This record gives sequence, C-alpha cells and structure tokens, in this order.
Amino acid sequence: MTSTTTDTLAERLADVWADLEEHLAQVPILRRLDEGTVTLDDYLRLLFNLRQQVVDGSLWISRAASNFDVAHFELRAAAIRHAEEEHRDFLMLERDYVAVGGSLDELRAGRKNLGSEALSGYMFHYADRPNPVGLLGAMFIIEGLGAQRAAGWAARFQEVLGLADGQVHFMRYHEQADSTHTGDLDAILTSGIIDDAAADDIVRCAQVVARLYALQLEELDR
Amino acid sequence: MSATAYLTGFGSYLPGEPVDNDGIVTRLGGDDPVTERIRRRVLDANGIRQRHYALDEHGEPTELNEELAVKALHAALSDRGIDAADVRMLACATTMGDVLVPGFASMVHGRLGGGPKQLLSVAGVCASSLSALDAAVSKVRLGDHPRAAVVASELASRSLRQRRYDGIRSGMDAHFLRWMLSDGAGAVVVEFQPHPDRPSLRVDWVRQVSLAHEHDVCMRAGMSGPEPVVGRTWQDVGISEAEAAGMFLLRQDVSMLDDLAGAGIAQFEELVDIGLIDVGHLDHVVCHYSTNAFRDVAFDALRRRIPTLDTDRWFSNLETRGNTGSASIFIALDEAWRTGRFAVGDTVLLAVPESGRFSFAFAHLTVVAPPARAAASRPEGVST
Repeated sequence: MTSTTTDTLAERLADVWADLEEHLAQVPILRRLDEGTVTLDDYLRLLFNLRQQVVDGSLWISRAASNFDVAHFELRAAAIRHAEEEHRDFLMLERDYVAVGGSLDELRAGRKNLGSEALSGYMFHYADRPNPVGLLGAMFIIEGLGAQRAAGWAARFQEVLGLADGQVHFMRYHEQADSTHTGDLDAILTSGIIDDAAADDIVRCAQVVARLYALQLEELDR
Repeated sequence: MSATAYLTGFGSYLPGEPVDNDGIVTRLGGDDPVTERIRRRVLDANGIRQRHYALDEHGEPTELNEELAVKALHAALSDRGIDAADVRMLACATTMGDVLVPGFASMVHGRLGGGPKQLLSVAGVCASSLSALDAAVSKVRLGDHPRAAVVASELASRSLRQRRYDGIRSGMDAHFLRWMLSDGAGAVVVEFQPHPDRPSLRVDWVRQVSLAHEHDVCMRAGMSGPEPVVGRTWQDVGISEAEAAGMFLLRQDVSMLDDLAGAGIAQFEELVDIGLIDVGHLDHVVCHYSTNAFRDVAFDALRRRIPTLDTDRWFSNLETRGNTGSASIFIALDEAWRTGRFAVGDTVLLAVPESGRFSFAFAHLTVVAPPARAAASRPEGVST
C-alpha cells in the first residue's frame, strides 16, 4: 500500500482496487480466460462457485440494513433498496448454468468453496455490527467487480466458447445494474456523512473483501 | 451474440432385413398381372434396389413409427455418448404418426423418457425433417438449450398394403408412391459446442421455403381430389365412405414432378445468387429425391454451376435404403458421415425438395475439428 493518511477516501479505495486488479491477474481461471484457453467446464465451475456465495448477497445486505439506526437513515434506505434489487440475482445465474448444460439440482445442492466460506462469513459477521458503515468498502469491491469486470469476462467467455447472450445473463446484467449501484455508492462516499473513523473502516473492509473475493476465485481450481 | 450449433451425433434405424425388389410382394401384396407390370415400371424408373419395411413376411406390422424414431434417437445419442436425459429439446418430424392425437413428439418422448423436454412435432412431408432441424438449431443458437435431438421417422408401408387398394380405383398417382416409399428413421444430436474428441458438422444455416401460394397440391391423402372441399374431407364423410373413395391412399400427381424439379433447382440457384452457397467451396451435396430420374436432372443443374463437380461429391443412398420420406436426409447424412466421406474443412449441402405442395429445404454444414486439446488437458492451476 502506498497511501498515506492524507489521501482522500477515494484515493485510498483506488489503491485497494489497484491491488485487487494485480491479484486477479494471477488467478488461474482469469489467466486462462485472458489467454483464451478457458473451457466450458471452467465457466460452469465459475458459475457453480459464485452461486453459493451470490445466493447470500441480499441476506447480508438486509442484515446490515436492520443494524443501521435512525442516525444512519440514508444508509439504511440504500441498503434496503439494494437488498431488494439483488435478491433475485442468483436465479439469473442459475438459468445461465442450466443453459450451458449444468444441472440445477446439483447447483443448488452445492456448497461454498473455502474462499466463499470466508467471504460470506466475514460479511455476515460485519453486517451484525451496529451501524456497519465499513460495509460500503465491501460494496465498493463487489459492485466494482460487477460494473467493471463482469461484462468483460462475459464477452471473453462468449468469444472463446461461442456462448449466446442467453448463457451469460448474470455477468452481462451486472455491468448495468452494478454501475447504478456504484453510482449510488459514489454519492454516499462523497456526501460528507463519512467521518475519518468510518473511512478507515471502509478501506479496511474493502481490503479484506478484495482479498477474500480473489481467494474465492482461486479456490475454484482446487 | 448467438451461440453456434453443431451436429455431434448421428444415428439411423431401418427395420428388419433389407427387402429386394422380388421381396416386396410378400409384404405389400399386389401380385396380379396388371399391378405386377406397374410395379416393374415404377421400380425401373426410381432405381431403388432394396428397402426396409416394418412388416413381417406376411405383411403384418412389426413396430410402431414412434419405435423407429426412438431407435434412431438411441443410435444418435449413443454415437455422441450421451443419454436421453442430456437432451433438453426433442424435435420430431413425420408424415403420419401412429395415432391422430396426441402429437408425434409426445409419443416419441413418452417412449424415449429422459426427463422434461421442449417438444416440437413437425407435420409435413419430406422437408419436415429440416424444419425440425431448423427449430432445434435456432433454440440452441439462442442459448435456450445446450443440446437438442432431432428425429425424422416414417412408417408408410402399412398404408401401402394390398388391403388399402382392394376395390378402389387407383391410377398411377397411387401406384407411384406405393412402390417407392418404405420405412426408417434418422436422427441427429445438435449442441452448442463441438464434439470434444472428434469432428462435428457446424450448421452454417438452414433455409426452408414453401411455394404453395403458386402450386396446387401434388401429394395428398384425406381428400378425393386436389382441392379440399368443405364437408367432403375424410373427417367429414364416414370412414367407410372415405376409404371407398380412396382417400386413404397416398397419392402423388406425377405430372407435376418436372415442375417440382425445376422449382427446386431455381431455389438452389437463388441460394447461390444471394451468396449463401459458394459453389467454389461446396464440397458435398447430400440430396433427397424420390427417383433416380430426378438425380440426373439435379445433377445436370449443379454441373452448370459447378463444372468441376464430380459424382463422388454427390451422395444419396436411395438405391439401397429406399425412399423414407422425411427420414431420408438424416439416414443419408448418417451413412455419409459414418463412411468417412467428409474431411475437416469440407462443406456439405443438404437438399430436400418436398412434393406435397412445393416446399424446399436446405442446410449448409461445415466439418470442424474437435477443439484444441491443450487447454483441456493442462492440469488445473498450473501456471505456464
């Protein structure tokens, strides 16, 4: 990390993002995707692994919503909206999985990989805290991946494996949906309601989530 | 973006032992001198030397049409190394199923099993096979199904037996098909990925067109003339009246067949004109036709466009497998594929003219190699 205490929150988060990008470049499945050697089995495995964590997404967001008091009314409102928007997402992922030949029963019977366990456990734990403002850091990472990387991954999977749009709904949808969410997030982060202590929490949470998200992707090759 | 559709499994089923020209009479009857003379004439013209019937030596049915379809499907699925459960769509073509209701595909699926599937029953005549293929290919390309199976099946023989002709005035229109049609089924597996270990046939396009707007009915059953009349179809009059009127005979107006050949060639020319067929890169033609006379007409037309086309590039198994209507094109494709006629990079045109009321279907295929194995075989997680 190169940031100093004088950096703004946006600059500190940009550093976390840069570290994450560096890390993702070493993740085996993303390397294969980049090289064009990724297989249909890789895509199925990616969806299978993501699904087990994505299915928890709106749960930890709504848990966080329930822990914001009236002093954090705006954050609570945003979290409630966000949870509602996300809680059907895993169904889209499941349809993609079936559309490329996967079995819905097997997908739903699947369990989290070690990275997903750590990520999901951390999110639920964090969401249980009173006023878990630091979770904005988690949103920054997860929504950022959706907005900035998922569509690129989808396009590359389509290019290498010859997939139809109808087989990559989940990743394509997130480009648009998560751009909206990151726009909302930017508005919150620059609204002046984040004090220095909250900013430290946000950056720390972003660092942990970035690391665990990459771990989740690494673990699907184990 | 849409996915690409590949044909990855091929199968066919021809019931019983092959029946040569002398063995027809024991199955279909018609050993009186007049019928005998007509049969010889028709057989001389169509060039068919052997065929299969789902009839025993006494002319009694041995199987249902849906059984032929399921056996061809089993052959295609086994050729691909998958089960019926791996297929999410089943498109079935036939001229006449075993029963009036429900649809043929429902009966085939019921017998095949393999879990829930999207079904399509395509009714028609010979070109219904490629209409079924078109639908399956479209759904696979849309990404709605990773795998589909297509089958075309015919069991015409039971309506060609003597008891149908007894006491009924039947001219050449009924005899022509009687000594031409026989039974069989052919199937293909369609997938959005090529076969992992061996070449596949990529489906470049499928086209079907009807010219019924400017042609009368050529092939018919269920009405007493070329035009249906209100209150006079087989469903309106009594069954015995319909039978006495010869409505259950399959008839073809043979005087229209030259027009059919001409119209089919015009459709081929149009596909060349709009660039879908590049005659400079067309390696194989698998064509369905009812008699060798039309093979020669079609071949001459192709020669005009492709002077270098030699007869090896043209494939049909009409002479040895018979004219199995809609099933013919898949039975021919299966044999052409299995006997190693196609090499990676070759292009293949499937062509099916349908006399019913002038329909024409074509499909353009390219032989593609299996995907590179390097990526798939590299141990997971090992950096290079």
